[in-house]
Amino acid sequence: MNLTSKPLAAIIFVVLFGGIAFTTAMGWWQTMSTKEAATFTEGEFAGQANPADIRGSYTFDDVEKNFGIAPDVLAQAFKVESNDPAAYQVKNLEEAYADSEFEIGTASVRLFVAFYNGLPIDLSTDMYLTEEAAALLKERNLTPEQLTYLEAHTVSISAATPAPEADSAPAVEATPAAESTSSEESAEKLVKGKTTFREVLDWGVSQEAIEQVMGKPMPNPLTKVKDFCAEQGLDFETIKPALQAEVDKVK
Amino acid sequence: MKIFGKRLFRPRSIWIRKVVQWFFFLLIALIAVNHTLVENGGGIAFLSTASLHALCPFGGVVTIYQYATVGTFVQKIHESSFILMIIAFLLAILFGPVFCGWVCPMGTVQEWVSKLGQKFFRRKFNHFVPEKLDKVLRYLRYLVLAWVIYVTAASGTLIFAEYDPYFALFNFWTTEVALPSLIILGVTLLLSLFVERPWCKYACPYGAVLGITNLFRVFQIRRVESTCKNDGACSILCPMNIPVDAVKTVRDHQCISCLECTSEAVCPVAKTVVFNVGGVK
Repeated sequence: MNLTSKPLAAIIFVVLFGGIAFTTAMGWWQTMSTKEAATFTEGEFAGQANPADIRGSYTFDDVEKNFGIAPDVLAQAFKVESNDPAAYQVKNLEEAYADSEFEIGTASVRLFVAFYNGLPIDLSTDMYLTEEAAALLKERNLTPEQLTYLEAHTVSISAATPAPEADSAPAVEATPAAESTSSEESAEKLVKGKTTFREVLDWGVSQEAIEQVMGKPMPNPLTKVKDFCAEQGLDFETIKPALQAEVDKVK
Repeated sequence: MKIFGKRLFRPRSIWIRKVVQWFFFLLIALIAVNHTLVENGGGIAFLSTASLHALCPFGGVVTIYQYATVGTFVQKIHESSFILMIIAFLLAILFGPVFCGWVCPMGTVQEWVSKLGQKFFRRKFNHFVPEKLDKVLRYLRYLVLAWVIYVTAASGTLIFAEYDPYFALFNFWTTEVALPSLIILGVTLLLSLFVERPWCKYACPYGAVLGITNLFRVFQIRRVESTCKNDGACSILCPMNIPVDAVKTVRDHQCISCLECTSEAVCPVAKTVVFNVGGVK
């Protein structure tokens, strides 16, 4: 059987777009990470979105979709001066507040969202908020324990400058080019939700040190630290600062 | 095909392929621009907002190791890359690397630049590289493939994006693009003035993967010896310099199934160079 160019062109279109249409219908076609926060599985808040699952890649708009807090409120809380706060990615806070002595970043947004909506969050680690965020939270119904934590973790910092948008920050992540300057280097070496054990090893932390922090043998280095914590029933929010401390030691 | 009395395509060429190439080039370009617009709070509603990584089937290839060992994708790679990889493989098993010859915008851009080279150098165009050297260089892309797979598996990150001219082509206006990829894109376009598809021939790791299907694909390009005039037209005009007139069935790992050698295009004798399944008499 001979095939000529026109039927071949038609076949290419049908197979390509038919394949995409089929996989879309099956729910398999995903061109980005899902931005749906995991929910509490038990207790009083079962079924509600868990602020601990907010990731750096979330925009303020994603936070609103999951937790109902308007991007303008988040922008006010974190002093984000942007024409489009809805498109601002949470991870950009780390860069915007890079000069701060206390880390304002994804964990801060988690804390703010939890207190704002009266949702539980693990307070065993230090997470910091701006004075503006604290002021907004004090207008909500906080428990005495939350108020005490808030008083101890409110910091006075100048306004955040708009950070690069969306994918631009991770694009240079862990690449040789990105490691060329010390300021970029320190900004890169942050343990985040998508950090793999491979990256921690590449940053100079020994396998022994990692295993000591985790309390377990290290898995395949390509595994994300956060995924491993979830699998092993470890609290990522506890592991993260401990691992970061090891990274900071070898910086 | 004519517009205002002017011929759009070279006589006896596979014009439908050019149309398909234009379509995919514009589609990917628009999606890449839309991705940037969406990041800046704008965007075109009916267009996909996917990143270029999400629409590259080679992303699926480089993430296979991590997916098999850890069950996750390499950073920035999503299910869509995996699905496109499977679709491109399916097409390649049936028809050879049609993705390279008909769809890939990087190949299309090289062909466009090569049009200038053809005008400047005429018959010398695409015949600058000494045959012996050319034959060896054609295997370079397998080394590139091995390197890309190794560094991706070892690092869990898309290191190749730093060097990928295709990524640079559709991201040169963003801060995401790395200098090495821009340089490689520039060099590729410059070389395209002398050689047809230099990136595809010598360096493309995805072309290396799909090229292997030429050895066992279902539909093959075949030459009917009994009617062949041995004028060499099929070989002279092959963009990949494959000596079609010297073989009965084209199994060269570099064939991109463009069909330009067939009797539908450059071969002057009907049903002599055909694209078929089941063989010829």
